[in-house]
Amino acid sequence: MKEILFISGKGGTGKTSLTSSFIHLADNCIACDYDVDASNLPILLKPQQVSNHDFSAGYTSHIDEETCISCGLCAELCRFDAISEEFQVLPLSCEGCGFCEKICPVEAITMYPRSSGHWSEGVFNQKQKLFSADLRPGEENSGKLVAQVKNMARAMADTEQTQLIIADGPPGIGCAVISSMVEVDLIVLVTEPSRSGFHDLQRVYQLMQLRGIKGILIINKWDLNPDISQEIENWAQKNDLPLAGKIPFSNVIVESIAKAEIPATNPEVRKMLSPLWENINKGIGC
Amino acid sequence: MQIAVASGKGGTGKTLVSTCLLRVLGDNNSVLIDTDVEEPNAGLVLGQVAQTTTPVSRFVPDIDPDSCNLCGKCAEICSFNALVVLSDKVLVFNELCHSCGACAYLCPLRAIKEKGHPIGVIEEAQLPGYGTLLTGRLNVGEALSPPLIKATKSQKATSALRIVDCPPGTTCAMIESISDSDYCLLVTEPTPFGLHDLELSLEAIEMLGIPGGLLINRWQGEDSDLIALSDKTGVPILGRIPFSPELAQAYMQGKDPLEAMPSLRGILTNIFSQIKGALS
Repeated sequence: MKEILFISGKGGTGKTSLTSSFIHLADNCIACDYDVDASNLPILLKPQQVSNHDFSAGYTSHIDEETCISCGLCAELCRFDAISEEFQVLPLSCEGCGFCEKICPVEAITMYPRSSGHWSEGVFNQKQKLFSADLRPGEENSGKLVAQVKNMARAMADTEQTQLIIADGPPGIGCAVISSMVEVDLIVLVTEPSRSGFHDLQRVYQLMQLRGIKGILIINKWDLNPDISQEIENWAQKNDLPLAGKIPFSNVIVESIAKAEIPATNPEVRKMLSPLWENINKGIGC
Repeated sequence: MQIAVASGKGGTGKTLVSTCLLRVLGDNNSVLIDTDVEEPNAGLVLGQVAQTTTPVSRFVPDIDPDSCNLCGKCAEICSFNALVVLSDKVLVFNELCHSCGACAYLCPLRAIKEKGHPIGVIEEAQLPGYGTLLTGRLNVGEALSPPLIKATKSQKATSALRIVDCPPGTTCAMIESISDSDYCLLVTEPTPFGLHDLELSLEAIEMLGIPGGLLINRWQGEDSDLIALSDKTGVPILGRIPFSPELAQAYMQGKDPLEAMPSLRGILTNIFSQIKGALS
């Protein structure tokens, strides 16, 4: 089994448009959305028979008002400013470290499991599986929820003998991205020819290098700025990062997304993306 | 006044809006804080290079092998499995540590001190005429951004106008970025993705009790879904930036967006008046 991950560093470069399209072009695959705090792949794949599963990771502390003697030790020691002046826990600030529970002289503090959101399994295109998740706003543990989605998808791939997982990654370079890279065989870096896009690409490329994962590059909307596009191409060549292809700005893709449709269901887009898909397949050794 | 510029979805135009807000409203006492520490872009957009760079660390345990008797208490109390006690030493996994300090405080032999683990830098650039840019930049490979966001935001706390360019999403990093703000301006785009992610951001600002307003970027006339969401939530639409290929081009090249779209100045001034009105 192979896993391909689409990431970009910068948001809004077209990851989800392209990931959904390549999922459509692949013969058979399991689809994953690791952007657990802004999950958009399901909007395009429109899964049916969706089952949601609660996900809890970590803890939140609770102070029992009756027992608390207002000594203030917990508030003094808490590094996260999670205990108010009235000695109430602020759940959004609490990291769940349990320090307060352990030092409370009258044992007024207990830790309870914290619901971080849910992960989902659904079916699209009649028989293909989509795994995604929705982190509750403000929650931590996005990395753990990503790991949960990944584990479920990989277990399903084993059970069903599916040879390929295609995953839409989160923006940035932090915990969610690091977690989404685990066990990945090929990373498709999707960039756009802007100063910000190029800068963010280089940071996510560094992270990919640190993790020792192979990558391939797509320059999306390249014709909006041919100069920076060329600069990115030169940089990629210098770094031995192969180019899967360049995609011109396409109104057809914009219109597909506005209608919440997979861009590659349009024959023109399909034709444009097919050579890139072949290059990605070569990159992964299929 | 502190205004957070946020969005659920990435690439909707947060940095465009926050840098232009500073260009339009800023004076020498204003500050723009880029808390998208994983991928900070405000400096690139403003064409500014940092003049000073300050390293930021967070605490991780440092175990004195001579004092430690391998009792295992630290591993037992660590909620993040950042400490593993072997038969001859204690292993510390810095990347799992949340810097809570419990192990150092509770070690029966006081064998644990805390030491700084570098996580990133705060860059400062002076912008002649419109203030200071503070950028948090996370080291590549570091997982946890909130401590760096907090450190970056703690600078220049007394500035009259603070604009915070937030990271995308609605996780702890976004919450840390918008917290303590007087107002949250949510930049969205009229697509199904924009709408979906905006709903999540609205939940986040409601949880924090921060008043908010919407700015629709790349507007092309049709925005009935966003109007419906605004009506349902009571969060007003403060303005619309029309879709403009010239603006997109200029922005991509790092040129001044206000020159590419002069009407942007009026749109943002008007939004700021509405924010001031809402807060008075």
